[in-house]
Amino acid sequence: MKVLALVLLASPVFASTYLLTVAGLGGEPDYEQRFTALATDTDKILKTGSTDRIVETLKGADATKPKMEAALNKIASQAKPADAFVLMLIGHGTFDGTEYKFNLPGPDISATELAALMNKIQAGRQLVVDMTSASGGAVTAFKKDNRTVITATKSGTEKNATVFARFWVEALRDPAADVDKNETISALEAFQYAEKKTAGFYTEQKHLATEHPQVDDQQHAAAFPLLRFGAASAVVTDPAKRELIAKKDEIENKIDALKYQKSLMAPEDYKKQLTQLLIELAKAQEAVDK
Amino acid sequence: MRILQKDHRLKPVAVLALLSCTLASAQSLQRAEALWKAQDFKGAMAEFEVLIKANPKNADYRVRFANLFYERYNTPEAQKLYQEALAIDPKNARAMLGLAQILADNYDPKVNDFATKALEADPKLFEAHELMAKAALEDDNRSKAEAEADAALKINPDAIDAIAVKALMDLLVDKPSPWVDKIGKRGKGYETIAFFYMINRRYEESIDYYRKAIAVQPDLWSAHSALGLNLMRLGHQEEARKELELAYNNHFADAATSNSLTLIDSYKKFDTFRTPTGALVLNKKEEDVLKPYFESEMQRAMATYEKKYNYKLKVPLQIEVYPDHDDFAVRTAGLPGIGGILGVTFNNVIAMDSPSGRPPGSFHWASTMWHEMSHAYILSLTDERMPRWFTEGLAVHEETTATGHPDWGDRMTPEIIAAIRDKKLLSVSEIDRGFVHPTYPSQVVVSYYQAGKICDYIAQKWGEPKLLDIVHAFAKDIATNDVIRQQLGMEPDAFDKEFLAYIDKETSKTVSGFADWTKQVREMNQLAKDGKEDEAIAKGRAIENVYPEYVEAGNVYTAVADACLKKKDTACALDELGRYNKIGGREPDTVKQYAKLLADAGKKKEAIAALERLNFIAPLDAELHDRLGGLMFDTGDVKGSVKEYQALVAMHPIDVAGAHYNLARAFKADGRKDQAREEAVSALEAAPNFKPAQKLLLEVAE
Repeated sequence: MKVLALVLLASPVFASTYLLTVAGLGGEPDYEQRFTALATDTDKILKTGSTDRIVETLKGADATKPKMEAALNKIASQAKPADAFVLMLIGHGTFDGTEYKFNLPGPDISATELAALMNKIQAGRQLVVDMTSASGGAVTAFKKDNRTVITATKSGTEKNATVFARFWVEALRDPAADVDKNETISALEAFQYAEKKTAGFYTEQKHLATEHPQVDDQQHAAAFPLLRFGAASAVVTDPAKRELIAKKDEIENKIDALKYQKSLMAPEDYKKQLTQLLIELAKAQEAVDK
Repeated sequence: MRILQKDHRLKPVAVLALLSCTLASAQSLQRAEALWKAQDFKGAMAEFEVLIKANPKNADYRVRFANLFYERYNTPEAQKLYQEALAIDPKNARAMLGLAQILADNYDPKVNDFATKALEADPKLFEAHELMAKAALEDDNRSKAEAEADAALKINPDAIDAIAVKALMDLLVDKPSPWVDKIGKRGKGYETIAFFYMINRRYEESIDYYRKAIAVQPDLWSAHSALGLNLMRLGHQEEARKELELAYNNHFADAATSNSLTLIDSYKKFDTFRTPTGALVLNKKEEDVLKPYFESEMQRAMATYEKKYNYKLKVPLQIEVYPDHDDFAVRTAGLPGIGGILGVTFNNVIAMDSPSGRPPGSFHWASTMWHEMSHAYILSLTDERMPRWFTEGLAVHEETTATGHPDWGDRMTPEIIAAIRDKKLLSVSEIDRGFVHPTYPSQVVVSYYQAGKICDYIAQKWGEPKLLDIVHAFAKDIATNDVIRQQLGMEPDAFDKEFLAYIDKETSKTVSGFADWTKQVREMNQLAKDGKEDEAIAKGRAIENVYPEYVEAGNVYTAVADACLKKKDTACALDELGRYNKIGGREPDTVKQYAKLLADAGKKKEAIAALERLNFIAPLDAELHDRLGGLMFDTGDVKGSVKEYQALVAMHPIDVAGAHYNLARAFKADGRKDQAREEAVSALEAAPNFKPAQKLLLEVAE
């Protein structure tokens, strides 16, 4: 994705991403087990293959309000404006019409309290993925200029246990989630993957969907690299290839412009021009890779 | 009147007051009836409400009010009022008749009990005899039907349903009937005949008689509606719509009429694909995925049945596939024995659920299609002269025989085990009743099983061709008992005895061990939960053979396989899941898990075979086509790979670019360079920087 490539170029090489995952109170052994497993999987995925990620995971008895506050305060003390911050909440949530609360062993933590803690973090790009029931009720409290908010439900009134978290974690480990094949899974790609799988789950089971995931800012979510793999970042930071990359960008711009015109063009004409541009792009890429 | 008889001491003033009250009630009743007749149903209901409020102890008013509700399709309200009337007057024959009619509409065998009680209360209630005559005819119990019709005619020689039943005695065995002329200008008589043709699957004749009903009585809106439904069943949508709209616009708006009109409106969401042998009607949202699989299975079934039955269909076959089960249910409205139905055949039109109409794994669409196609052939071959039990039994038999897939068809359920244990299987001469008038909730399912097993038994003992001999015998309108005598050379009682011995031999281990098996399964699950894998595996394997056909939720195979995997014993898990697969296990995730283990063990061909089973169960699964396409590509089956990746692309998967790229690779391997280039372009349109697709595009670019 071109937008993403530009963002990566603009980001300092040494920028880090702080990721905090919390699996809240299950209430029942089945949920307890499920939430812990999802948090464990997330932790494992995030800790694999990258040195620029600072990962912390709280689950089971450790997922208490004081420990969560401590973890967020620690990130606040370390993160710089060039860094990124991601908070992922797995579990149950409640919404009383005014206030959203994330259920934890012991006292719960409210969206307002969480927002206050996150506001102390200087990371210039922030992402909150609240995958609990009623998480839609937290959006207003979480909303901030540099922060993208993804929730499993569209409002606080969707109170049933959610399946979104399962598919979000699946997105992090499934290369298919990288739909633009740029070797980076953006927050938007992970969201769209999980959203589609969540909808499919309810359709297949012939159940009325009780959760409708939402993202508050698609553009920012698209530009938020969640996981990078492969050699993509190495290529874009190589000065020797800048000229070739500039040519590639130029062709990509032409492709974007052509796609924009698609509905106004004769299909054959569109296909011919697109094929030509894609061949040019493929040749340019070949040159970059030499 | 009873009130006056009770109080001999009433003063003249009081008598006058009561008289005026009675007169007022009579006038109110007249008004209600007049409004009803004038089709001012709301007005009539208001009058009845006033009447009942003023006369809370009058059962007859409640019965009339109930009749109005019944006529206006509000059966629950009608039933409630009939019951209230009986609470006031336990011997109210009309209330009992009303309840009997409601039971008859639902093919409930208790209709006879209520009709008999109504006759005890009023021996001249000929309508009760008529109801019992029709119920008997639904069971194909013609002697009882005739006796009840005669009893009704003895009371009332003009009883129209009784006359119709008498006419049907002849018509159903293709003889002209003198009773038809006695119907005269009464459309209801023709309507009753049409109904019986319909439930005997003789839709063309049913349509003819509904037309006759309308010809003599153009305002018989129920006949217009039923005509519309039957025209729709045979695919004559335009005329069906006209008839249904006519009925609807004239206040005949029961659920079948209004739902059918809605369904006709929804046909714009479907496309019709002509095939060399017929037509496929598929919903636009899933047609690209389903068409190749449905089309090839339709052609394979037709080729098989043409050979097996030595018969070619006279008209092209049409298969309609409904993703919304409610739409499909509209197609079966008013038919008997439709609980849990998956497909239905109306002459050359088959309507069935789509795989998307039911949760994945719960429905084998290909098995259903073969079942229904057997009906289409057999009913056409015999001009619909076939008892229901043999038609269904043969179709069930074909699901595992003609298809060449013993793992298709249905498994023996706990309900069937209970029916065998409780000796609830019916004699061959009575088995039709299990379909039409079930006496316990699962009897329709049990009857399908039993009918299928009868055909299995006949094929096993007398050979497969004997089944076709029996079909031809039924085509000559020979009754079941005589067919058994003529074709199998034995008395029906002797056949029943032999068949039950066969069933006993086949199922005794399961039936006698079922109660203990359920207990052992619970213990096995507890062992697995407690982490005692070895003990769980040992217990599971010890009980597996008691009820080997059980592959539903909580089955032994998957529990043992899970325990094996916890021990990291892949061979043990493969062994167990192999048995699950072979016996017909259909849960998609379990089959996919089995395929993955096979593929990981290098057994790619076996993995393909396992996954291909799912194409006949839950084909609307992107992951399935992706994996199958990949395995087929790896094993050199590039044509198969193309088909699977085409299905994947049609599913609009999350990874659009990946799907197009894989299809491009398969096309290239198959030597189809132009198509490979198009797919590579599609992949790159979604993801312009997708390097493998870029490389492929350069390879196939001109």
